[in-house]
Amino acid sequence: MTTTADRTTKTNRKYRVIGTRPIRHDGHDKVTGRAKYGADIQLAGLLFGAVLRSPHPHARIRSIDTSKAAALPGVKAVMTGKDLPEKATPPGNFMETLADPQVLTENVMARGKVLYKGHAVAAVAAVDRHVAEEALELIEVDYEVLPHVLDVREAMKPGAPILHEDLRTRTTAQMPGDTPDTDGPTNIASHVQFVQGDVAQGFKEADAIVERTFETKPVHQGYIELHNSTASWSTDGNLTIWKSTQGPFIVRHQVACILNLPPSQIKVVPMEIGGGFGGKINTYTDAVAAVLSKKTGHPVQVVMSRKDVFEGTGPTSATHMRAKIGATKDGRITAVEVNLTYAAGGFPGSPVGSGAGTCLAPYKVENLKIDGYDVVVNEPKSAAYRAPGSPQAAFAVEPVIDELADKLGMDPMEFRLKNATRTGDRQASGVPFPSIGCVEVEEAMINHPHYKAPLEGPNRGRGVALGYWGNAGMNSSATINVTPNGSITLVTGSVDIGGSRPALAMQAAEVLGLAAEDVHPSVGDTDSVGYTGVTGGSRTTFATGIAVIKAAEDVRDQMIKRAALVWETQPEDVEFKDGVFTSKKNPEDTLTFQKLASRLMGTGGPVTASASADPKQVGPSFSGMIVDVEVDPETGKVDILRATLFQDVGTAVHPSYVEGQMQGGAVQGIGWALNEEYFYGDNGVMANSSFLDYRMPTSLDLPMVEPVVIEVPNPGHPFGLRGVGESSIVSPMAAIANAISHAIGQRLTTLPMSPTVVREALVNGDK
Amino acid sequence: MTPFRFAAVSTVSEASEMLRADAAGSRLIAGGTDLLSEIKEGIVQPQTVVSLQNVGGMREIVAGTDGMRLGAMATLTELEGHAEIRRSYAALAEAAASVATPQIRNVGTLGGNLCQRPRCWYYRSAAFDCRKKGGSICFAINGNSKYHAILGGGDCVIVHPSDLAVALVSLRARATIAGPGGERSMALEEFFAGPQVDIMRETVLQPGDVLTHVSLPAPSPNWRSVFMKSRERQAQDFALVSVAAAMEVADGAVRDARITLGGVAPVPYRVRQAEEALQGAAVASVDPARLGEMAVAGARPLRDNHYKAPLASNLVRRAVTLLLQDGA
Amino acid sequence: MTASSKATITLTVNHQAHRLEVEHPWTLLHVLRDLLDLTGTKRGCDRAECGACTVLLDGVPVYACQMLALQVGGRAVVTIEGLGDVQHLDPLQQAFLDNDGAQCGYCTPGFVLSAKALLDQNPDPTELEIRRALSGNLCRCNAYGRIIESVKAAAQLLSEAQPRP
Repeated sequence: MTTTADRTTKTNRKYRVIGTRPIRHDGHDKVTGRAKYGADIQLAGLLFGAVLRSPHPHARIRSIDTSKAAALPGVKAVMTGKDLPEKATPPGNFMETLADPQVLTENVMARGKVLYKGHAVAAVAAVDRHVAEEALELIEVDYEVLPHVLDVREAMKPGAPILHEDLRTRTTAQMPGDTPDTDGPTNIASHVQFVQGDVAQGFKEADAIVERTFETKPVHQGYIELHNSTASWSTDGNLTIWKSTQGPFIVRHQVACILNLPPSQIKVVPMEIGGGFGGKINTYTDAVAAVLSKKTGHPVQVVMSRKDVFEGTGPTSATHMRAKIGATKDGRITAVEVNLTYAAGGFPGSPVGSGAGTCLAPYKVENLKIDGYDVVVNEPKSAAYRAPGSPQAAFAVEPVIDELADKLGMDPMEFRLKNATRTGDRQASGVPFPSIGCVEVEEAMINHPHYKAPLEGPNRGRGVALGYWGNAGMNSSATINVTPNGSITLVTGSVDIGGSRPALAMQAAEVLGLAAEDVHPSVGDTDSVGYTGVTGGSRTTFATGIAVIKAAEDVRDQMIKRAALVWETQPEDVEFKDGVFTSKKNPEDTLTFQKLASRLMGTGGPVTASASADPKQVGPSFSGMIVDVEVDPETGKVDILRATLFQDVGTAVHPSYVEGQMQGGAVQGIGWALNEEYFYGDNGVMANSSFLDYRMPTSLDLPMVEPVVIEVPNPGHPFGLRGVGESSIVSPMAAIANAISHAIGQRLTTLPMSPTVVREALVNGDK
Repeated sequence: MTPFRFAAVSTVSEASEMLRADAAGSRLIAGGTDLLSEIKEGIVQPQTVVSLQNVGGMREIVAGTDGMRLGAMATLTELEGHAEIRRSYAALAEAAASVATPQIRNVGTLGGNLCQRPRCWYYRSAAFDCRKKGGSICFAINGNSKYHAILGGGDCVIVHPSDLAVALVSLRARATIAGPGGERSMALEEFFAGPQVDIMRETVLQPGDVLTHVSLPAPSPNWRSVFMKSRERQAQDFALVSVAAAMEVADGAVRDARITLGGVAPVPYRVRQAEEALQGAAVASVDPARLGEMAVAGARPLRDNHYKAPLASNLVRRAVTLLLQDGA
Repeated sequence: MTASSKATITLTVNHQAHRLEVEHPWTLLHVLRDLLDLTGTKRGCDRAECGACTVLLDGVPVYACQMLALQVGGRAVVTIEGLGDVQHLDPLQQAFLDNDGAQCGYCTPGFVLSAKALLDQNPDPTELEIRRALSGNLCRCNAYGRIIESVKAAAQLLSEAQPRP
């Protein structure tokens, strides 16, 4: 653990600031309660909105009568889906969007049909939250209840209730003819397929083959802060939205689509964010707050309840998966076949594509066939959750790899290393890997004392598994202003969810020869900084970092010109090193950055620089876990005795935050592995939509996870960074499953592996 | 949340009168940690919430020669930390310490813990019009039944949620109730009532009744007790199964034994067959595993809770083994 | 629908006495955030299940979301804004800052106050005692390890500041 004492210890000798551990810039406000989150905003005349949600998982809305609610004293406005433009209209295709705008509109408020319990159908604005909630009870909705379907396999069967009459399977398969019938209505939104080599031939060459099916439940991101939106629609048509979001520019774009507004008329102000993990990317209540504000002429705040968050915002997909892997006696994988079916929720868009693209990343495989199906079911629209899609797929592949190694009599890490991918090898998609650290991660695991430590005693087992996340690039912008005392302000468009402010400030400081404390980083609103993609995909410190470095280099070059002006020489004659400008012609002429900063007004005015980044060489991240468990055979309870998480991070900018991301992902994985799941009643209603019944780990439930940072620099970033936020959640479920199987001699193939499931396996044996 | 009136009375009889006068529209509040959840969820909508916070003496914990008297308004933190309870009624201290979280134990009371409503997720959700809310279906019987009863359920398969109840029944506690007809007291196990008695309630409390205190008999020097709770999270969780065992062991024989299970039935579930088998038995002859099996004789698991019977057996075996070791 | 009844209570918040008119169903959390603008106390579940709204009531941690204002009349509440002073952080706040005990920061005020109550009672807790004292507060960034280290560091800071005889 970090202490104040080792804050100055550098892990990376190449750099001055990179690799040190300065105190986070947002720390004071967070420990004193001053940090302002979305629901903390106070505005004159603020009204409170509340959203009525469907009690049925699938129903046609015959009519909605809001008259009684509107008549309740204190109610200022009521809205339904009819108050949103019928067609969502993208304002050009300049920007990326993460979801189909029409789907977003219908998810924000149902029209015609509700597709899951919790689907929004109407909303009110009132003088306080209590009146707003009371008013919801007065809205009368006439539903024609329709049969619903929750399970992906049921949803794929002929005769299953159809969610969208107009949905046809979109195929991105490489081999036509191998896809389902797409003539009629279906719940299969898409089929993705990757094929390489000859799988049938590969299995013929195998000496051992293992095939198993796996199932996982929906799990929620579980951020503690509730979703919120506060909107103010001015009479001039300008709309301001304050909110908790991972992507203010995504929200601007999505709201522009939904409300048919030019993006320039919408300002999204990102507040501090109380966790997101992928779940705070898409818009939910923003357009609702906006319409209510337009109707009332007041700012309107909507804050979800915890139940709304569980029932109305994205969990990650439930899955049904099958993996079949063959290998020769000497441990060479000859063929892999994987079938992934992911629940999308009420609208298309599960992360099955990235599951398919990532699940075989750690292995060089000549013959492979991966099929992925995105299937709509009557559950909330799934949303991204930390390395979306990858942890489930790893839970299908990694235990089969483990069992195969067992069958071949090989050490599971030796088997993996033998088949490890290297830079330039082809991914499942056919695209070659850029520079990767797969082998380095595996070697670090094999050589770590944990892997060699004896593990004795009954009902104990050790498991390993690998994880992979490709990481995202996307676009980012940054602006730097030099102040007269030589400190700088740094504005980026990246919401800080896990320490990106200090990590970005440190990159600027590195370029400009400053201390991290000399940089004041802040998160800009959508009017004050250039377009910046979501804080997600483990991209922020990497991609926004590149924008920051470019802006800092621009500042440096402008400052060199000013020094040249002061010394009446040419910029080529000015050297800049460690924060000091020196004249090459006359080495006595030196100016510190601070000194020069105080002379800007006399040498041409303020120095300011903006830059944007469009990185092409994203650095993917491999990871792995070694975990020791002890199973209580009487209660089925699994205790984690020791857990070590390995990850290639490229270069650790702020090692504490890198370790924090690694531990955070690992521990979310442990919760997913052992406790967390959605329970649905037969009526399609989630039975456990509370923090009491949806069991996230407490301080008494978790071991310390030891992080092992591996640095294989990414050539696509000036300082070698890779994204670090997500890869860590991929391996724990599989590693724990493997450990349990070694402890009890039974293979578990469902998540979560709760005491009840473990006990059933002990009693009933291998299924 | 439906608006309600908060009435802090100054005497128990005043509370009793208010509760009796408007049985349907009034609810008693102690710490409020449970009642406020129900009100916010919309499963109860009282007009009046009657608070005992200003009633004198209800929070007192008194130890005397004839045992202890525990005021219904004593908090779980106070029970957990009380020296005499820790010394002579270990199962109660352990049960109190196992409840929920420190924040809830600082507010939650003895009376509130014993009178809390079940945690069945179908009962707790306004989306399910279950039998306990006056509907006609028990959704758990054919639904998600992981946390439900394996014994004594019938038409409603809730489990009683109180950890304290399990410990107190094994400790031979008595409950004292003040009602419209005056005060009465009964063995605590008779205070609880299963769905066969009244599907809408879990206790024998009638309109106007107030649980005022719980008393514990004086401990004999050879008395030992223990509480064990199996749960999925080590905090903020109710029991999958819990057990409280109390035993008097002297001169190599079991003089007296009580074993109560939690998490298996709509009421704290006394394991009489095992208790009788222990009565007078020589310590050396006791087969704890056999007692464990007896404990769940007749269990009828639902779709998702087959794990409970063996889990209960194991906990009984562990508890008995521990107490016999302690007593030896 | 009946209109809510109103009542007046006195409440000491962060060492300052307040006289407040409240509606009967109002929670302490509503009073702190919406009447007194003390937004450091967070709403995360509104059901006494996450700990983001933890405040100290007469020195012990409670969930402000699940207590009625009328249950706490006449008593003393300390929120995160009541720790430390204008010049200095409370040693616990300092320790959370120094040890990266806050990540997204939303659960932080609750954790700091639970830890404050612990150290007030038990200046030298074991790790298990710390974990138990914090078990009513959820952190989803899973900074538990750093939070626990922060509490240990605060205990150290306090013992250095006030050497015991």
